[in-house]
Amino acid sequence: MSEDVAVTSRGEVTPDDRSRRQALFAGLAALTALVAPSAAGAQGRVRVPVGPTERTPRHPTTPLKPALVDPAATWLTPELRLARRVTMGLNDAEAVRARQMGYSAYLDYQLDAESIDDSVTDSYVAASWPTTTQDASTLFSANAGTVQTELTLASVFRAAFSARQLKERMVEFWSDHFNIYYPKVAYLKVIDDREVIRANALTTFPQLLRATAHSPAMLVYLDQSSSRKGAPNQNYAREIMELHTLGVNGGYTQTDVAELSRVLTGWTIAARGAAFTFDPNLHDFGAKTVLGVTIPAAATSVGAAAVNEGEQMLTLLVNHPSTATFIAAKMLQYFLRYDPSPGQIAAVAAVYANTGGDIKAMMRAVLSPENLLAAPAKFKRPYHFILSAVRALSPVVTPAGAAAINAQVNVAGQAMFNWLTPDGYPDTAQYWAGNFLPRWNAAASLANANSATSILFNVAPWMTPATTANVVAQIDRYVFAGEMPPRLRDELSAYIGANPSSAARVREAVGLAMSSSSFQYY
Amino acid sequence: MDQHDLDCACREYRDLSRRHFIQGTAGAALLAAFRPDWLPRVVVADSANSTRDVIVNIFMRGGADSLSLVAPFADTNYYAGRPTLAIPRPDATVAGKGTALDNTFMFSPGMLGLYPAYQAAQLAVVHGAGLTYNSRSHFDAQRYIERGKAADTSVTTGWIGRHLAASTPARAGAVLRALAISSGLPNSFDGAPNALPISDPTNFQISGSAATGAAREAFLTADFFLDLEPARSSALGVTATLNLLRSLNLASYKPSNGAVYPASSFGRAMRSAAAMIKSDVGVEAIEVDIGGWDTHVAEDPKAGSLFKTMSDFSGSIGAFWADVMQGNGSFSVTLVAMSEFGRNVRENGNAGTDHGRGGAMFVMGRSVNGGKVYTNSWKPLARENLADGQDVPVTIDHRDILAEIVQKRLSNPNIGAIFPGYTPTNYNIAT
Repeated sequence: MSEDVAVTSRGEVTPDDRSRRQALFAGLAALTALVAPSAAGAQGRVRVPVGPTERTPRHPTTPLKPALVDPAATWLTPELRLARRVTMGLNDAEAVRARQMGYSAYLDYQLDAESIDDSVTDSYVAASWPTTTQDASTLFSANAGTVQTELTLASVFRAAFSARQLKERMVEFWSDHFNIYYPKVAYLKVIDDREVIRANALTTFPQLLRATAHSPAMLVYLDQSSSRKGAPNQNYAREIMELHTLGVNGGYTQTDVAELSRVLTGWTIAARGAAFTFDPNLHDFGAKTVLGVTIPAAATSVGAAAVNEGEQMLTLLVNHPSTATFIAAKMLQYFLRYDPSPGQIAAVAAVYANTGGDIKAMMRAVLSPENLLAAPAKFKRPYHFILSAVRALSPVVTPAGAAAINAQVNVAGQAMFNWLTPDGYPDTAQYWAGNFLPRWNAAASLANANSATSILFNVAPWMTPATTANVVAQIDRYVFAGEMPPRLRDELSAYIGANPSSAARVREAVGLAMSSSSFQYY
Repeated sequence: MDQHDLDCACREYRDLSRRHFIQGTAGAALLAAFRPDWLPRVVVADSANSTRDVIVNIFMRGGADSLSLVAPFADTNYYAGRPTLAIPRPDATVAGKGTALDNTFMFSPGMLGLYPAYQAAQLAVVHGAGLTYNSRSHFDAQRYIERGKAADTSVTTGWIGRHLAASTPARAGAVLRALAISSGLPNSFDGAPNALPISDPTNFQISGSAATGAAREAFLTADFFLDLEPARSSALGVTATLNLLRSLNLASYKPSNGAVYPASSFGRAMRSAAAMIKSDVGVEAIEVDIGGWDTHVAEDPKAGSLFKTMSDFSGSIGAFWADVMQGNGSFSVTLVAMSEFGRNVRENGNAGTDHGRGGAMFVMGRSVNGGKVYTNSWKPLARENLADGQDVPVTIDHRDILAEIVQKRLSNPNIGAIFPGYTPTNYNIAT
């Protein structure tokens, strides 16, 4: 522990970092300005000349003011930069694919998830965790613990090994946006994950929003299923506007919350909880006004057709300009940068408005080369980090191995379907950056994994031939897709030293590479 | 202090000693440790900021139903608005009745874990407190409270973060000044130097071969030395804290004064908080959060959902009070607990309550003017007295209470920097 650490505060260096980063990426963007989408050419290739990447002296001149290194300073290949954003982490095969296809073809490939053959993963998941494919009435009678475990492990396994990696990132995004706390809804989340989130992850936002509004899991999670006329429950009515569509500053009032909760009375679930149903006996047929739109009083004889009042409100919400802006900003923050500009938000919101909320079209706008090549690296959340380490190693993982990976995710603080409140897990570096120890321990544990019945990471190819230079080169290839920072290369060479033929030492070096600063970002 | 007390202190401290840690660098403190007083206080007394308390900040996430925690039993409106939820009066002859705090308010049965501290005048209750900015969003309300200012995007750090950033460390060179017992850093700590979230301080070790542990820690310390913030400070803080916690033995910590912490995650976290405070390694702020307060449905404060949450809350903090604030070995600590808002006065159709406004705060410590419920213009809960006709109005800004703690107990007079643009009212809740 050096003295300087204790006296260096966050506040002192952050502004410097930001301008340093912006300068770097402004330069990168300028280099690539000529190959923005329209001019990208038939191949869709975007190339950046390789140049010096280490912008800072290796040894800081004064320990109190170290020159900080941008984690993405060596990420000069645009399609790899893209692949880092739309996957749970690069591995050798994905890096090769992205390089061969080039930027826009690779983005097309990942967006067209239905065309990617994922049958190997599908079959393995169905065979290993069969409850994930079962219907609600079967799940109702199944062992509750088994059902939760199987959904969780299937999700971890898919995230790590599905060929449809962009879709897995979208599933992660929507699972937070439409967060549901599993212990409150139990097996209903299995149906929600399969038929709402995964089925609509790459369709349109209105379709997805309608699916969640009819999802028994969501209606139970936010207490809508027990709301009734006279004393409506406001929980879902609030969150559908605050968190799902308009955003907290989207222009609704407490009166709108109360009125929408009256409109939604009767939206509930059938007996045994498996299906959406509208119960006119619970519905408030009086006149309501939401966001300036009045629903006139109706006779109770309208009966089940009064569900259309709520459907009309969903249409109002998905067509509201605040929703376009809110969803655009959130997608930008998740896939591009923590601080998208008003112009970037407006551009993606315009795509929402022009395409009826087409998620793929919005993703193309978010991930345009001029956007992405100017974007600073983002800090991986624990789930993303651990999966990226798994992917880098491409190990053989059994169901027991998936459980071991999931246990690491839990320890790191991002247990799946286990965030209590409807805002979903935070996505800020500030929140997660202090929690390094579980990351380092997960990286070390994965690199040491050598069990055919759990996780089998075969280190032999990484040390053939067993020279220090080759081991470092293999780590560079598998973990960093050939874009390892030179400083880390030196550090790893020194750590391996004279022991490149020691599997234990090489595994430790792999673990350290995945624990290093640059592997924390994407 | 007699020999018996000295023996007690030493015995309790045998497995949880900071002495080893300071041995190499602070020989004088080591000598001081053998003075006949509670060991850690001696060391604090030697530092430049000896009067400063450790602040323990508890955030009750979800909007705690303050009218179930601290119920106004003298108000018929309370009983009228809550036909299924109201707690029976202290003078009722039924089970599950409340315990009077004064002539107006009572603890419900789930809160009794805090009653000894209240009786000892070391716990103050504040009612009708909260965010004056009208937000019923959990997330905005929490963030605004933790930031110390509502709806101002220019305020990007937390109130405790700003306090620590503006204060000289209570212990020079402390590697860990702010500890959140969680997986992520709470907003209130944003901007704090030497702040870390640690979900379980009793099990904080680097995995893998013990033989290479030191070398790998050195590798990571060097590697992250040039990383960007906030990762750089955090990673370096983690390697330093690995060293620090190795020098302690938190896993074998034994509470004092017969305190028994509930076997819940909140109870374990409060126990870890006590251990960190007693190890006296320079931790000045600890945050522990407790969720489960968002009781829209089947709230049941008498025996069900909310009763269990309250029991966990009051039992854990009650144990912390006995352990840390009682007896000759007590520590200079102020604890404050609050939620983002209270809930509607009238229950909803699901035997639950929806998001409201004014809530309750709890302030605990040996220098707190406790045994009292603090209110400001509290009125009967008739509709005409309620905010928006439905809620306890916010008549005490949470910053009034926090600012007094910052000034008096954290010895930081610079309130303008901690709560920008706010001039607090003094309720004389602490000395």
